[in-house]
Amino acid sequence: MTTATTTRAGLIEVTGLTKRFGTFTAVDDLSFTVEPGRITGFLGPNGAGKTTTLRMLLGLIRPTSGTATIGGHPYVDLPHPLSSVGAALEATNFHPGRSGRDHLLVLADTADVPASRVDELLELTGIPAAARKRAGGYSMGMRQRLGLAAALLADPEVLVLDEPANGLDPEGIRWLRGFLRHLSGQGKTILVSSHLLREVEQTVDDVVIIANGRLVRSGPMAGLRGTPGALVQTSDPAALAGALRVADVTSTVAEDGSLVADTTDLRLVGDVALRAGLPVYGLAPRTADLEALFFELTEGTNRNLGAGAAGSPAVPLERDAMTGEEGANE
Amino acid sequence: MVGAIRSELRKFFTTRMWWGMAIGIFVGGALFAAFFAYAFTSDLAGQSGGPGGMPTGDAEQIANSVYTAGLSIGYLLLLTIGVLQIGSEYRHKTITGTFLATPRRVRAMLAKVVALLVIGAVYGLVSLAGSVSVGAVVLGLRDVDAFPSTQIVRTLALSLLVLGLWALIGLGIGILIPNQVAALLIGIGVAWIVEPLASVLLGFWDWGAQHVVQFMPTQATNAIVNAVQDGSGTARLDWWGGALTLTAYAVVLAGIGIWRTSRADIA
Repeated sequence: MTTATTTRAGLIEVTGLTKRFGTFTAVDDLSFTVEPGRITGFLGPNGAGKTTTLRMLLGLIRPTSGTATIGGHPYVDLPHPLSSVGAALEATNFHPGRSGRDHLLVLADTADVPASRVDELLELTGIPAAARKRAGGYSMGMRQRLGLAAALLADPEVLVLDEPANGLDPEGIRWLRGFLRHLSGQGKTILVSSHLLREVEQTVDDVVIIANGRLVRSGPMAGLRGTPGALVQTSDPAALAGALRVADVTSTVAEDGSLVADTTDLRLVGDVALRAGLPVYGLAPRTADLEALFFELTEGTNRNLGAGAAGSPAVPLERDAMTGEEGANE
Repeated sequence: MVGAIRSELRKFFTTRMWWGMAIGIFVGGALFAAFFAYAFTSDLAGQSGGPGGMPTGDAEQIANSVYTAGLSIGYLLLLTIGVLQIGSEYRHKTITGTFLATPRRVRAMLAKVVALLVIGAVYGLVSLAGSVSVGAVVLGLRDVDAFPSTQIVRTLALSLLVLGLWALIGLGIGILIPNQVAALLIGIGVAWIVEPLASVLLGFWDWGAQHVVQFMPTQATNAIVNAVQDGSGTARLDWWGGALTLTAYAVVLAGIGIWRTSRADIA
């Protein structure tokens, strides 16, 4: 598999996707794209609508409106679904009385995959020893690995993984990261959901963040970290902002009264403050606290529904940069 | 489609249930055959409307009844298998994987239908292996013709179909009642207790006895295999009428179930 195969075949497009269960709107007019050949993190707190979205993408749940396509086709129209898309949705989807190997063979039958491939995958995911035991006795980690093996069975171009790190120990999470990187290196498109940004931040290229069924953000991971800057605490932020403007440095006053200067040159900020006669109580490079950012993004919409784009005022700079960068990641 | 059918058969034969059921159905066939072979050839039987209230029939009906006696257990077990073939998928959420592999759901469910007919035929053979071997020996010991006519062969072949059709009825029930345990209790409760009871009660009502009872699933089943009658004078369908009736039950129940499944959200 070369990068040449990752044309638009692996492109996932979600457009205006909406799902209502009675009066409850689980997914609300959600649109995003997942670029081929990249790892995309699909993030949001529990109950944000991630699983419902993935199930609509896979033809398991019928959308109230909107479409979700893979390589331009709805999942149900794929002639060989398992060799186009591999999905691991829940680690509990196994009959407890059936062995892991038999579970894979049941799937293999439908996709004309030989038994030798099943054994190959059991080896690859590191569970050959357990394969002939009944799945009821599997640990959570083994179930996750078996789910991954099932997803990879027919060597699909696209992988859809719902919370694959759930129940894995730190060792298992590290293994998963390496494994996803390895698959991505083969040119596969990977969409991986998680409710923990930290869990995937080292793995993903792009993020799609949703809360309350709505899109909060999408774009490259690098954009989420924000532009690097300097964080200053001073007695009169507005005065320092003015002084910095003279020195050709833009800045913003954050809600807590500190000033965010768009420069990495801490010495310059200190010098400007000294010349302006302003006391500096704190001066530090600003590193994006992704977990806090994620929390703010998703919590912000929880408090006032629908305020996704204008919700939390503490991070206005990155948001604009972010939406500007969307789609510019090819 | 062939792959999906193979997959369904593998699902069935990769859990321990299949050989437990096979033993049950073999032993059931053997025991019932032995019991009825003895009972039908006892002194009380054979006299029309005899004092003991024993069922009556000619030699062919006796042989049919003996060989298909195991069906009264067999069809309940196949009903159970039909319920479980879909019920366990809901319960263990493996239905997700099934529909991911075969996203055209009607196709996925038709694969289940074909697989259940095959399973019904296989268990039918198991049941017959038990009942014919034991039944023929007992009939032989009682000096009754064990194979009075070639019609017996038709009966034996049809009993395979009967079990397949009951499995489809189970499939329909299993879909319409997604809770597996409730589906089993209701399905077996109705087939084993409610329906025979209703047949008896309707039998007291002349019009019902003549026009309704014969279309009950178990009555239709008895008609297909041409078992002995209890002599109460209720009407009975021909074997093909019984087959059509039972097929209608299977088609309607499985059909509604498949239609429901093809539209449902799989969460």
